[in-house]
Amino acid sequence: MLEVQNIDSFYGELQVLRQVSLHVDAGEVVALFGPNGHGKSTLLKAISGLHPPVSGSVKFNGEELSKLPTHKIVERGLVYIPEERNLFPDMTVMENLKMGAYNMRARKTIKSNLEFVFHVFPKLEIRQNQYCSTLSGGEGRMVAIGRGLMSEISLLLVDEPSIGLSPGIRKAVFEAIAKINLERDITILIVEQEIKNALALSRRFYLLKNGQIAFERKADELNVAEIEIAYF
Amino acid sequence: METIINIIISGLISGSLYAAMALGLTIVYGVSRVFNFGHGVIAIIGAYITWFMLDVAGIGFVPSVLISMGLMFLFGVGMYQFAINPLLKKPNWEFSTVLFMLGAGILFENVILQIFGPRVKSIPLFVEGSLKLGFVQINWHELILIGIVVVSVILLSLFFKYTRMGQAMRAVAQSITGARVVGIDINKIFSYTFGLAFVVTGLSGILLSTKYFLNPHIGWEWMIKGFVITTFGGLGSTSGTIYAAIILGVVEALATLYFGAIWVWPIWFAMFMIVLLIRPQGIAGGRL
Repeated sequence: MLEVQNIDSFYGELQVLRQVSLHVDAGEVVALFGPNGHGKSTLLKAISGLHPPVSGSVKFNGEELSKLPTHKIVERGLVYIPEERNLFPDMTVMENLKMGAYNMRARKTIKSNLEFVFHVFPKLEIRQNQYCSTLSGGEGRMVAIGRGLMSEISLLLVDEPSIGLSPGIRKAVFEAIAKINLERDITILIVEQEIKNALALSRRFYLLKNGQIAFERKADELNVAEIEIAYF
Repeated sequence: METIINIIISGLISGSLYAAMALGLTIVYGVSRVFNFGHGVIAIIGAYITWFMLDVAGIGFVPSVLISMGLMFLFGVGMYQFAINPLLKKPNWEFSTVLFMLGAGILFENVILQIFGPRVKSIPLFVEGSLKLGFVQINWHELILIGIVVVSVILLSLFFKYTRMGQAMRAVAQSITGARVVGIDINKIFSYTFGLAFVVTGLSGILLSTKYFLNPHIGWEWMIKGFVITTFGGLGSTSGTIYAAIILGVVEALATLYFGAIWVWPIWFAMFMIVLLIRPQGIAGGRL
């Protein structure tokens, strides 16, 4: 479904990604681990067109994405949920969710997608008329993921969904991600620091270090120690 | 008492015209973060086009205004596509766009001077007479001006609330990255925002020149008022802009009555600086 090949990415003179390749198959949940500042978010931004790669290729269902702007990539059913959430603070929860259905394709399925978002995050239905500037961190995270689901997607890139959340809310977010994958058959590439929770969700994972893929493993070849060593 | 009420009404009238003038500035800044230093000259371009249609081409007031608004939209879109967009792609765009629009304002001012000459023009009153309610007296002309401003503000807020394009503009104003990840084409929104803001600005120029007068340099004075109002109300906040314009319009009228017209600007700027010191985000804050 997603085929990333040999991408290089820079911020100014600084090279952040070096020849990164990975693939995500339809229906999978794939986790991406790695120390902070080693290029995980940059990789997701490269795939979603927010920070296009300088070289290399990003193919989505066989189509080259690396020269497309983000809004064209969203139209094709690939959405990125940034760690910073980037909600619209002076809009209500409902208005934020509806903005997620901005592209023409998603406008047709707005009702069923909204029902699914409220099914996955029942709390948002209660909060629907509240302004996003008044939400807690966990609720804001739920709106960000829900808004992404409204875009009628087949691939979700989600950046550290559990960061800064209390253990209870963290659990709810991970359960929601599992539901999104199982009930809607949405493929997921997740960046996480919560290794154990993320491994419970995913079939495979990659470890990104110094802007390069250090290794790839199946989740049943589980070895948390190996990952933890790589962090130092 | 009667004088005060009449003065306050006249303050409300100029306040609503200032609100129209400042709204264009607020819309552009709110959505694109570009502070338009050529704003006043943009307003008089709208007024000169209307004057030309009325006085030279000899068509009626309403078609003249509509043609002028259509041209202002194209002007705004063109200004964005050919000048602002290339500047935004380079570093230091906050500064370069300000200087560019300042330069464009001076250039356009001189082009207007060359084409239309330095003499004062006026866009004639469209109705004579006045409305008397007890001791309150308002010119029909001014009532119509307020009516146009109120209808425009209502139409604008409906546009921002209910249309796809208007909602996208608010989304971009509130979070550019958020707007990008939901699939909004930022460039297209910026472009239409400049078009819309130039239309509103041009309309305010037309309205102001029916009440006051029009010459190639008057735009700068209007623009300074626009700057004070937008900063006072909260940069990028449409409701704040309207409150600020009404407050400052009434202050202007009261200051003129009690201290004389030369005290208007010192009082405005003293209030402006106090608001900046105490509440740099303006009286209302918030976003588009």
